[in-house]
Amino acid sequence: MSELRKDPIVGRWTIVATERARRPAAFVEPQPTVTAPKNCPYCQDHAFEEVAAIDGVRVIKSGSPILDDTKVFERQDHGMYEVAHSYGSHEIVIETPEHIANMADLSEDEIKVVFQTYALRIQHHRKNPCIEYVLAYKNYGLAAGSRNIGHSRSQIMAVPVLPMRVNDKVRGAKEYFDCHERCLFCDMISQELKKKERLIVENEDFVAIAPFASRFPFETMVLPKTHHCDFADGLKDREGSLAAIMKEILLRFKIGLNDPAYNYMIQTSPVKKSSSFKDNYHWHIEVMPRLTRVAGFERGTGFYICPIPPEMTADFLKEVDIHAGT
Amino acid sequence: MPELRRDPVVGRWVIIDTEHTKGPSDFPKSDNTPTRQAICPFCPGREYQTPNEVGAVRPSHSLANTPGWLVRTVPNKFPVLSCGGFLQKEGYGVYDQMTGIGAHEVLIENPDHDKALVDLTKDEMQAVISQYQERFRQLSRDSRFKYIMIFKNFGSSAGATVEHTHSQIIALPMVPKTVLEELKGAEYYYQQHGRCVFCDMISQEYQDKERIVMENNSFLAFCPYAPRYAFETWIIPKGHSPDFAERDGAISAHLAQILQDVLIKVKKVLADPSYNYYLHTVPLGQANGAHYHWHIEIIPKLTRSVGFEWGTGLHIVPTFPQEAARFLRES
Repeated sequence: MSELRKDPIVGRWTIVATERARRPAAFVEPQPTVTAPKNCPYCQDHAFEEVAAIDGVRVIKSGSPILDDTKVFERQDHGMYEVAHSYGSHEIVIETPEHIANMADLSEDEIKVVFQTYALRIQHHRKNPCIEYVLAYKNYGLAAGSRNIGHSRSQIMAVPVLPMRVNDKVRGAKEYFDCHERCLFCDMISQELKKKERLIVENEDFVAIAPFASRFPFETMVLPKTHHCDFADGLKDREGSLAAIMKEILLRFKIGLNDPAYNYMIQTSPVKKSSSFKDNYHWHIEVMPRLTRVAGFERGTGFYICPIPPEMTADFLKEVDIHAGT
Repeated sequence: MPELRRDPVVGRWVIIDTEHTKGPSDFPKSDNTPTRQAICPFCPGREYQTPNEVGAVRPSHSLANTPGWLVRTVPNKFPVLSCGGFLQKEGYGVYDQMTGIGAHEVLIENPDHDKALVDLTKDEMQAVISQYQERFRQLSRDSRFKYIMIFKNFGSSAGATVEHTHSQIIALPMVPKTVLEELKGAEYYYQQHGRCVFCDMISQEYQDKERIVMENNSFLAFCPYAPRYAFETWIIPKGHSPDFAERDGAISAHLAQILQDVLIKVKKVLADPSYNYYLHTVPLGQANGAHYHWHIEIIPKLTRSVGFEWGTGLHIVPTFPQEAARFLRES
């Protein structure tokens, strides 16, 4: 019997299809070839306008930005519709000077600097009073929406509106807090650590779980054990343990799922009215291998069919031998 | 200059990426060659390979589960939800779950294995729409169900796994999130303005004209002002109508015509892309639908969503809706 599970944060239901559960191997899709280092734009030093550089990690303005902060931000109406020019900023974080494709193959020290860089850029962008949200995220592999250049990088977008999914999350978390006077994420963490059936890996500061109402096979959520609503401020002194758990998760994907495309997104609290999120929101990272295609039903309903129970995801990822071949 | 646009129903912002605006030929070629099944279970003569039919358009003298049908609906062999049993809701710590009660049916749109929806005759297309309505009415009698979703995946990158032309129907024990958001947004608009937000959209589309793809007596096809996807197109009844099930015969002929015509245009302009469409209507048992208005959303599958869209729900659309509408209109 398949199950309907409700995500306690945004209230989104997922169908966990236990009967048609596909074995992990059924999702594996080979990655196409990548650009050679001599043609890689991110291996060249001067190809882009650099906005920051920290210990081998460079931040550049996107060569083809979809957001632009050179004009004043103005919202207008168009009859019943609303429009604004696409104000904001779009940056690329080049994670290593070397031509390495997958973040899983960077050292923990390098990954640590990447997360520190996100924090610094988020702190920078939120000083701009027009910015409502800053998202740091990564697309790896074609199926995740990336070009296959073969040079590990991630992106930072600062936008002048509160995006809908972020709004769903903060609203869900706030409703839970108003009802229980406890943080929903903290409650989730303590339940997951007690039951352990969806726990993938933990260290002293972080826990990685397969969410109870996962939308996608092998979806993973990384949460700090200590309550903090904001990534940039909450990361302090925990950069090393975040790098360690992220590297481990990405390695488990790479080895266990044959180097799949994936996305991760840092889900921090909105920039404005930060005091209203302090107690009820809890920053985290969503990591999603891109193994299935979203079909009409998912698009039409916002209701996902996950072909693997998250408990199986957790078991599978836990058992991957990340030291194989090294 | 790129634009941020806000959907007036659910309040979702989208980014229209004008810097890398894409016309129809700029999208990668689709991979629409699903493996042909040597023995297709949806072809006439193999009715025994599917579960027993639950509905069909067939001549009165022909027997169920034998050839002779024009449209045939069968339970999905691999249902994501199952029909037997009661709905049980359960709490589990901070989590909620319920048994996966529901119905999952496959609607085989035509006996001919080589025809796509766009190749059907007028009568065949009408039979598909009347079967949609028939199954919708049947399933809506089951009190365990709260919502019925009719949808189609065409082409492998839109999630189709069987080549033979078909749609699917899923009956759900709850109202899904995307629909709830629309309902909530529409209700809020109604409280503010005392009018249906969709009716207001239709009248503004007539004023602006540039996003209209086509129309007939009963329906308007247009590219929404704040789309989530390139070439996203909606078909909506011109007159206020909350509930799909209430349509009468004449109107279903108009729906068959406009849906097929839009799909033909999509095929021509975008070189036979994969696509999805789905029908949004008022949830079952919500008779008071003054603020809601049923419609079909057609989404050609041209781009992949990236992490940014997953993380924020802020979609990046590489084609202006008025451009998309112009290409579709002029084809």
